[in-house]
Amino acid sequence: MKQNTFYLMAGIVGLIEVGLFWFSVELKNPLIITAGFIMGVGLLYVARMTITDLREDERAVLITQKAGSRTLEVFWVLFFAVSLGSAVIGFSTPLGIPRPRELPHDFPRDEPHLGYFGILQMILLCCIAFLYIAFRVYYARKYGEWDTDEE
Amino acid sequence: MKNKIKVFRAMHDLTQEALAQELRVTRQTILAIEKGKYDPSLELAFKIARFFGVSVEEVFFYDELRH
Repeated sequence: MKQNTFYLMAGIVGLIEVGLFWFSVELKNPLIITAGFIMGVGLLYVARMTITDLREDERAVLITQKAGSRTLEVFWVLFFAVSLGSAVIGFSTPLGIPRPRELPHDFPRDEPHLGYFGILQMILLCCIAFLYIAFRVYYARKYGEWDTDEE
Repeated sequence: MKNKIKVFRAMHDLTQEALAQELRVTRQTILAIEKGKYDPSLELAFKIARFFGVSVEEVFFYDELRH
């Protein structure tokens, strides 16, 4: 597979993921987007291995590693903090022992409950992408990705 | 780390692209090394030196003033 074909495929997978997300919200079923996302990423990982004209050397690997590790370094703190918040929300209500075997039919309820929290998490998930791109641009510039030189 | 890759390239009448292809790296990597923005791995440093038929010390040298 050519690299450009892979990028095209990644774009299509991205669009499908957006569709699955919308579908998931409509059906109030989080499993659709969860499973779809895992399959989409898995598909892209497999497709990436079949790229024949990929020119990736040690400097490109270094840029990717640096950007990835810096993104995680910053992001895990934010995500951990938000997850702790969600744990508090979870533990603030009775744990319900014995647990019901299945979720009530009106779950999730239509009235606002964790709506703002969901929006916050979506913003954070978008932030990780922007953060990664920012670090990638920074390290690419640092290691001369867009430099020009006389021959 | 400083280097004389540009000098050796000129001596061998090689473009950055040609050298990059010989060493199986990208042209940007050669450019980044020449400009001192990226220090190559030992393996790549040896490959570069061997390609020009000289020792690593003749191509790369430590710039103490910068560190």
